[in-house]
Amino acid sequence: MAGPTPVQIFHEEEKKRQYRSGTFFLKVGLLLLFLLVPVLFPAFKTIDLAMQIVLFAVLVASFDILLGYTGILSFGHGMFFGIGAYCVAFLIGKYGMPSYTNLALGFLIAAIVSAALALLISFLTLRVKTIFFAMITLAIAELAIILATKLTGFTGGEDGISLNTPGIFAVSFNMGDFMGLEITGRVFTYYFILFSCIALFLIMLRFTRSPLGRVLQAIRDNVQRAEALGYNTFLYQSISITFGCIMAALIGGLYAMWVGYVNPESSLGVLTIMLDVLLMVIIGGMGTLYGGIIGAAFLKITQTFLPDLQHLAMDLFPHAQLLHNVLERWLLLFGILFILVVIFFPKGVIGSVNEYLLQRKMAKPTISPSSFTPTPPGNRP
Amino acid sequence: MGEQGVDETILEVQGVHTFIGQHHILQGISFDAKADAVTVLIGRNGAGKSTALKTVIGLLPSSKGKIIYKGKEIQKNRPFEIARMGIGFVPENMGIFSELTVEENMRVAMLVENEATARRLDRTLEMFADLKKFWKAKAGNLSGGQKQMLAIARAIVNDTSLLLIDEPSKGLAPIIVDAVIDAINRIKEHSVVVLVEQNFYMASSVGDYFFILDDGMVAHAGHVEALIQDEALQSKYLGISEAEE
Amino acid sequence: MAESILRRWNQELTIAGAIVLLLLPLIGIQPKTYLTLTIAGIAMGMLLFLVASGVSIIFGLMDVLNFAHGALFAWGAYVGFTVFKYLMKWVVADSVLQNLAVFFIAIVAAMVAVALLGVVLERVIVRRVYGNHLFQILITFGATIVLVELIRVFWGPNDETMTVPLTFAGNWDIMDVIVYRYRVICIVIGAMVYAVLQLILKKTKLGTIVRAGVEDRDMVQAMGHNIYLLFTGVFAVGAGLAALGGLAMSIFSLQVYPDMGGTYLLFAFIVVIIGGLGSVTGSLVGALIVGLTYNYVAYLVPWAAAGVNILIMIIILLIRPTGLFAAGK
Repeated sequence: MAGPTPVQIFHEEEKKRQYRSGTFFLKVGLLLLFLLVPVLFPAFKTIDLAMQIVLFAVLVASFDILLGYTGILSFGHGMFFGIGAYCVAFLIGKYGMPSYTNLALGFLIAAIVSAALALLISFLTLRVKTIFFAMITLAIAELAIILATKLTGFTGGEDGISLNTPGIFAVSFNMGDFMGLEITGRVFTYYFILFSCIALFLIMLRFTRSPLGRVLQAIRDNVQRAEALGYNTFLYQSISITFGCIMAALIGGLYAMWVGYVNPESSLGVLTIMLDVLLMVIIGGMGTLYGGIIGAAFLKITQTFLPDLQHLAMDLFPHAQLLHNVLERWLLLFGILFILVVIFFPKGVIGSVNEYLLQRKMAKPTISPSSFTPTPPGNRP
Repeated sequence: MGEQGVDETILEVQGVHTFIGQHHILQGISFDAKADAVTVLIGRNGAGKSTALKTVIGLLPSSKGKIIYKGKEIQKNRPFEIARMGIGFVPENMGIFSELTVEENMRVAMLVENEATARRLDRTLEMFADLKKFWKAKAGNLSGGQKQMLAIARAIVNDTSLLLIDEPSKGLAPIIVDAVIDAINRIKEHSVVVLVEQNFYMASSVGDYFFILDDGMVAHAGHVEALIQDEALQSKYLGISEAEE
Repeated sequence: MAESILRRWNQELTIAGAIVLLLLPLIGIQPKTYLTLTIAGIAMGMLLFLVASGVSIIFGLMDVLNFAHGALFAWGAYVGFTVFKYLMKWVVADSVLQNLAVFFIAIVAAMVAVALLGVVLERVIVRRVYGNHLFQILITFGATIVLVELIRVFWGPNDETMTVPLTFAGNWDIMDVIVYRYRVICIVIGAMVYAVLQLILKKTKLGTIVRAGVEDRDMVQAMGHNIYLLFTGVFAVGAGLAALGGLAMSIFSLQVYPDMGGTYLLFAFIVVIIGGLGSVTGSLVGALIVGLTYNYVAYLVPWAAAGVNILIMIIILLIRPTGLFAAGK
């Protein structure tokens, strides 16, 4: 086990290359952009868009821990996100005063509850078949929505819960102007969430590059071989799933802080949150973590400007009824896009670009130990 | 088959490469099977013997090289097409449908149900009396030797001119191995056989030609008689090397 | 030998246990209500069986978990809805013959149309991802989005009311036990489908090959059978059964809506996990368990109805992870 393995050497070299490469500057630029959004575009619509992109990018990254790095598809990721949102909402909304302690407690409880549930589901399903995970998380997520809707007394039912953020995060908080920017609770909340998300992202990055993360990828690529090498695949997969689900719950809590309310549809929904996350991870690329940023930006920007696009189409082609029907059913287009990406670009945008760069860099194509290589869905019947 | 000359080659594998996932298993393997003979593939575990058979039948795709059967390239064909050309396959795990009865196993195997097939079925059941005895029994309840018989019976009930058998002696008691040798010696009369075998006793009892595989390539080839005499070669690839594993 | 005796003993014990469980709700329910609920439960179970058997057999033979099965179910309901709409005169006519005719036409139309849809789905999409569970789930989930959105494009996004053919409406009163007519029809349909499936699987050569393929696909191919044709055929049959289930269910619940597949897909998953993936009989037993418990619990403790089946599923996963009737694998 000791001594630098080829994989480790590869990662060392990759690390060195990082600071020289264009992608490094791209990352710094992206960070600056999100830091400056409240200054440059103080309109609520843009700040909200930026925040949604950040939150979903990190949520997609946490989903990617399961999907891309562990090879497990969960339809319950939205539920864990919702659990986090509800926990925070309970603590500073329905059952507690908005205080910093309660806020922190909310996040703590979110982490504990989601960890327990994730471990339970892992224990139930991974013993049998990893695909059971997809089926059972779908069932349990659906149950969670029903419970959240039916148990009106506990969860506020369909109306959900409104919450007030404490202290400097409060909507009413206003510190006055600073260099032309009005320092409100919203601005504080924005930066708090942004930095929290960056921290969570870095933790996840560290997780995937740790020895544990490597074992996970080995398991994902070949379960039998990993088992033959003596790894307890069940244990490793459970750890990874639990980690990813805790992350989702924490992000859910941050989301609740930002939007100021939770309800079953917007926080737990399989067809709302889960669908978005799946689209984002597929478009961005599995097994990259960074892919989530592209996926989230693409989807959120499209969703935000879709009504404008519809109006534009209405003005330009007032008689093309079919076009309007299709634009109204934009999900149809996304569905087709989703299928096409899975078939033709199974590695998503980031993965495909990585592959292209790698192929250009090296005289002959080699297999990179860090790139996700699922069995390519070839055309062989 | 009688019309074919003694030296005629029925199957020719030329420089075939096969990958399983990212593993390069067959690295340019070449061997052939001559008519009216039993060809034995020998080699250590992981040398690529089973992969070679699976590549011929098409269950594993080859990335390079040619597989020529009766003068026709078949490396691009799909397994069921290759099987219909008259190649029978008995895999290492025997591939018994254990939830089905012996009868149903045989029925699945019979591609066409006509008089000729019925005759072959009679002949086969005569050869393997146990199968007749347990005709309506679940195949999963058969003994290891009976399962092997069933697996071979399924492969020869069609009009096969080439039979690929993967380690028929594996896990069988010596006395049953003798019965399998007996069966293969009788099958030899109707069909060319390519055998993967680690049991030297069996290989030398039925084989005419041998190919020794090592790291996905052919290391040695020749007449089985020559192998029987060459003890150095035997110990290198059959006895000692297995102990090293 | 000892093992087989043990197994038989085990089997009898299971049956005895099942009967006790079946009668258990009598503690809290009046016998007459209990009978009504039981018939409702069996009817619902039969409809779930139609959906679940397709999921189960497609998984068993092709190793494909088809998340698009729910969408096919909804398509079946909508095709039937369209037939009813155009032949509304026959639906509401006071004539058993016309009612039966329109019902029959709707069934055939729904099954054929959706089976063709299944063929397209298998050939164009699913075929590309054989052997990769992750991509299968993703791609069939993508197909679900597209199929459901297409329903919204063709039929509009709103709920529509389904009309029950006049003969099937209403109920019989048999010694004070209320028996809804349509529920009996559902039970008959489910039982017929089960019988036909069993007959095909057990008695025909094609069925034998399918069962062999459930155990070992590669071997079936190496024996000269065109497994891909078989895959397409089985997928089409599974889609057709889903369509039949969708149509029957839409009459049962008196409505069609674009997302209707989602709920029943979940039920189907619970059923196949309980029954065991790959087994038709397992699907039937699992479906009856789910249908009956759902109805009993919905009567006794309404708010718990949604959760009780998931609870049963979890218990089954704990004590018998491969389901009650695991396939050969």
